[in-house]
Amino acid sequence: MPSCASAGLIARLRPVIDPALAFILLAVLWEYGAALFHLKAYLLPPLSKVLATLWDNRGTLLSESLVTLQEVALGYLAALAGGLLLGLLIFAMATARRALYPAIVLFQGLPKIALAPLLVVWFGIGPLSKVVMAFLFAFFPIVISTLGGLASTPLNLVEHFQAIGASPWMSFRRLRLPSALPSIVDGCRMAAPLAVIGAIAGEFVGAEQGLGTVVLMANANARTDLLFASLIAISILAGLLYCLIELIARRVWWRGL
Amino acid sequence: MASEPTTRDVTERSTSHRGGVASEPAAIEATEVSKTYPGDVRALDRLSFRIERSEFVSVLGPSGCGKSTLLRIVAGLHAADAGGAIHVLGEPTTRPRPQTGIVFQKDNLLPWLTVRANLRLAAEAQDMPRVLIEARSAEVLATLGLSTFAERYPHELSGGMRQRAAFGQMLLLHPDILLLDEPFGALDALTRDRLNVELLRLWQVRQQTVLLITHSIAEAVFLSDRVLVMSERPGRIIADLKIRCARPRDPQSTRASPEFTAHVLELSRMMGVV
Ligand SMILES: Nc1ncnc2c1ncn2[C@@H]1O[C@H](COP(=O)(O)OP(=O)(O)OP(=O)(O)O)[C@@H](O)[C@H]1O
Ligand SMILES: [Mg+2]
Repeated sequence: MPSCASAGLIARLRPVIDPALAFILLAVLWEYGAALFHLKAYLLPPLSKVLATLWDNRGTLLSESLVTLQEVALGYLAALAGGLLLGLLIFAMATARRALYPAIVLFQGLPKIALAPLLVVWFGIGPLSKVVMAFLFAFFPIVISTLGGLASTPLNLVEHFQAIGASPWMSFRRLRLPSALPSIVDGCRMAAPLAVIGAIAGEFVGAEQGLGTVVLMANANARTDLLFASLIAISILAGLLYCLIELIARRVWWRGL
Repeated sequence: MASEPTTRDVTERSTSHRGGVASEPAAIEATEVSKTYPGDVRALDRLSFRIERSEFVSVLGPSGCGKSTLLRIVAGLHAADAGGAIHVLGEPTTRPRPQTGIVFQKDNLLPWLTVRANLRLAAEAQDMPRVLIEARSAEVLATLGLSTFAERYPHELSGGMRQRAAFGQMLLLHPDILLLDEPFGALDALTRDRLNVELLRLWQVRQQTVLLITHSIAEAVFLSDRVLVMSERPGRIIADLKIRCARPRDPQSTRASPEFTAHVLELSRMMGVV
């Protein structure tokens, strides 16, 4: 009986236990791997050292994280609004589709990192240029997934709405939009880490604040431990963003049904 | 007496009756209807028939002969080839008409809506008053045996339950013309019988016109005033059989009647089943 109960408990905790084990394994490898392969500490400091640095610099890292988070959040929200709007516009208007779609495909393929120096010239060394970078990185996946979602409404349902005499507005609100949501949510998921990358890339090119500047400064001073500490801060930031989006995405559960 | 359309010989009247002075327009009148899909797939070949108001007509035919195509044209969803036309109550069918209810072969339920919300969809599209929708959906849910599943989602239902839900969505409308494309195909014999009886009851109460597509000869005979038989693709009407079983019909006694057996045998021969 007790072994049965504990087996059930373990089965239920598997989703937590499995990733935790993976993390612990990775941490152990990091901590002792460097010593094992005789890597110098300035190349790969042990995890304990990195964590200690993270703790010692928690004040700076937190305040710099907040700056980056702000840039990411603003850029991402702008990309979400703009992406949805443009996706809808292109879907609804054949003219917009003909005129804009090729341009979007072209821009999407552009290495947007190359734009960072120009954006700093245009929008200054302050946070605005980073917001624009985050926007540019997040924008295209959202447009493309919105378009893809709207265009792939099952035809039998489109016909059904025609048959029951639904107005165009009703067809959009009750059929097109809900059936596009899984794809749109996918685009939003994909766009979140891209927004972080965009903001950090912007900070690399020229900034006074933000996690990107900490990374640059640590690198310049050969402070590998601080560099890794800020990388951890960046991944925590991206992870939090992911969790938030995942929480909202749960409400769109009808994927593939 | 004039409102006893089933006694008329419909086959004789099926051509060029439209525009007649004294006669009221047929519920559905098809004149020389052909349909060619892209790629030169000829689905229908110069079909003509006439269905009177309040008549119950079934269509039998081999798979792929164009039955669903025909129903779509009657519903105003597809256009017939030039040269042919379908009139519903005297009007050419150029687009879907609110008082025609159609149930498709595939149950078209929205996966993100509960059964109850799915039921309401067509009524909401036609701006039926809320209270009326409320009352009718409760009634339809009970009739179809779906009350306990009202708050479930389509993927939690069996195939037969999904079919019933799709059927219910149309029932809610109280349409004057019902177009049914194998609505009971996925049901067990018992539920099918029950729904057949229910369909007949509604039809009698509401004086609707029904055009039913089915693969079951017995179902067609049991329900209909007339059965149209279609040929292999390209579909043509190869027989128009008046069913002489007495009404009201009942699963046991009607099926035991000699007329029923004779009709089933005749249709089976026609379709090459026996
Ligand atoms: N949208 C379409 N485009 C092209 N061809 C089609 C289309 N719909 C049907 N067809 C063709 O028309 C023919 C008739 O199809 P239809 O669906 O009307 O048959 P059916 O009699 O309803 O068959 P079943 O009993 O299997 O449902 C078939 O050969 C099919 O391939
Ligand atoms: Mg069919």
